[in-house]
Amino acid sequence: MDSRNTEVLIIGGGVIGAAIAYYTAKSGMEVTVIDKGDIASGTSSRCDGNILAIDKEPGFDSQMSLESQKLVDQLSKELDLDFEYRAPGSILVCESEDEMIAAESWVERQKKAGLSFKMLDRNDIKQESPYFADDLLGGLECETDSTINPYLFTYSLFHGATKYGAKVMLRCEVEGMSRDSVTGLFKVNTPKGEIIAKKVVNAGGIWAPYIGNMLGLDIPIKPRKGHIIVASRDMPVGMRKVMEFGYLMSKFGKERTVDEETDKYGVALVFEPTESQNFLIGSSRQFVGFDTRVDMDVVNCIARRTIRFYPKIADFIIIRTYSGLRPWTPDHLPIVSPVEEIPNYYIAAGHEGDGISLAAITGKLMTELLQDQINTIIPTDPIRYSRFKNVSTIQT
Amino acid sequence: MRDHKTIICRCEEVSLEDLVRTAESYRCSSRELKLRTRAGMGQCGGRTCRALVDSITQKCTNDSTPHDIPLGYQAPIRPITFSIMGEKKDE
Repeated sequence: MDSRNTEVLIIGGGVIGAAIAYYTAKSGMEVTVIDKGDIASGTSSRCDGNILAIDKEPGFDSQMSLESQKLVDQLSKELDLDFEYRAPGSILVCESEDEMIAAESWVERQKKAGLSFKMLDRNDIKQESPYFADDLLGGLECETDSTINPYLFTYSLFHGATKYGAKVMLRCEVEGMSRDSVTGLFKVNTPKGEIIAKKVVNAGGIWAPYIGNMLGLDIPIKPRKGHIIVASRDMPVGMRKVMEFGYLMSKFGKERTVDEETDKYGVALVFEPTESQNFLIGSSRQFVGFDTRVDMDVVNCIARRTIRFYPKIADFIIIRTYSGLRPWTPDHLPIVSPVEEIPNYYIAAGHEGDGISLAAITGKLMTELLQDQINTIIPTDPIRYSRFKNVSTIQT
Repeated sequence: MRDHKTIICRCEEVSLEDLVRTAESYRCSSRELKLRTRAGMGQCGGRTCRALVDSITQKCTNDSTPHDIPLGYQAPIRPITFSIMGEKKDE
């Protein structure tokens, strides 16, 4: 069997692994990326593609997105392969007075955190799209939000990484891993031979706990399933990303005033025009293990929710549906961190539905962590692995 | 059939030339070829071009990559409207 050595081994060829590979290789480190399947064959190709601050908790969470937006804007200029980048902003729409009041406080808090948010009234909503339901009261806008194609972004980052010398090994599953207590080197067994690495980054997404378990780590990530409908754009419905305000409630597990099925499946409207002239409709949130089969009852519910917000697109055509698994953590923040008990072992996973949004900032930060830099691009405390130490049972 | 301008995916207007060029430069799976070119991602759900895309992958890569990640099938089988999809079961 072959044996190869590498300075940094990244486990996971999704968007997170891609961004880490790009920034580490660019900084001059020697990098190898392995994945059990293809590039972007898990969550990174079963999602939509946004760099959003609008749906992040005001403060650290939304700041992290804003920094990521700046990095992606730079990446759109420095990477060779196009990834359908555009920055038209995004909006949330409200269907009740209560939501309007909550939206106002959301806007105030985001503005205090230094982000470009503003309220929209009934007229603004009408201007946004003639297809909206007449009874929508208003909403809010985040000006800086941007949109990309998630798998093309991943391909583009890997293309950039390999130009800086990164090696990518596909269909190369981790079969076992150990750490030599004398040398501190990691030995990783794969079907393509043994890899000896000085540093390991676990960017395994929903499979990160499985990889972590090989060295006795308990990583609190669970798959949270979501569905998306791809629809054909007969007429332009809207130019930018739209979400219902209830999406925030569903994301953060708060109470909503919706029917039983909508609540059970965590269905909240998301609309996203793509560059291909189609549009994507979401969303749902369920804990149902690793099952990626499309559940038609959930799709049925999403279609009804769509018609509630866009009654006039009832006769538009659904081309296909798909589902993916978000890597959920108990506090909705990712883990981007060294692991104290295992020197030179790092985790970059658990971004739930924010993996595309936060990939760039994660890649940049992980590169700084791998180089033991003290001044990092964002504070690292809220996303440290050790914050879960005292959590004995993880509640979903 | 030497004319590489031949359209393979009618929905997304992807030519044989585009597919062959992409397959040769990335030596990738059918799935990656689909995602990079959009062949098979249009209105008909790949019913017209799926087998052709698969065979282009095999020819261009000389079977050097395993094709264990075939092109998937996504519901619905034929395009349907939001109103039909959203119908209540008891209606």
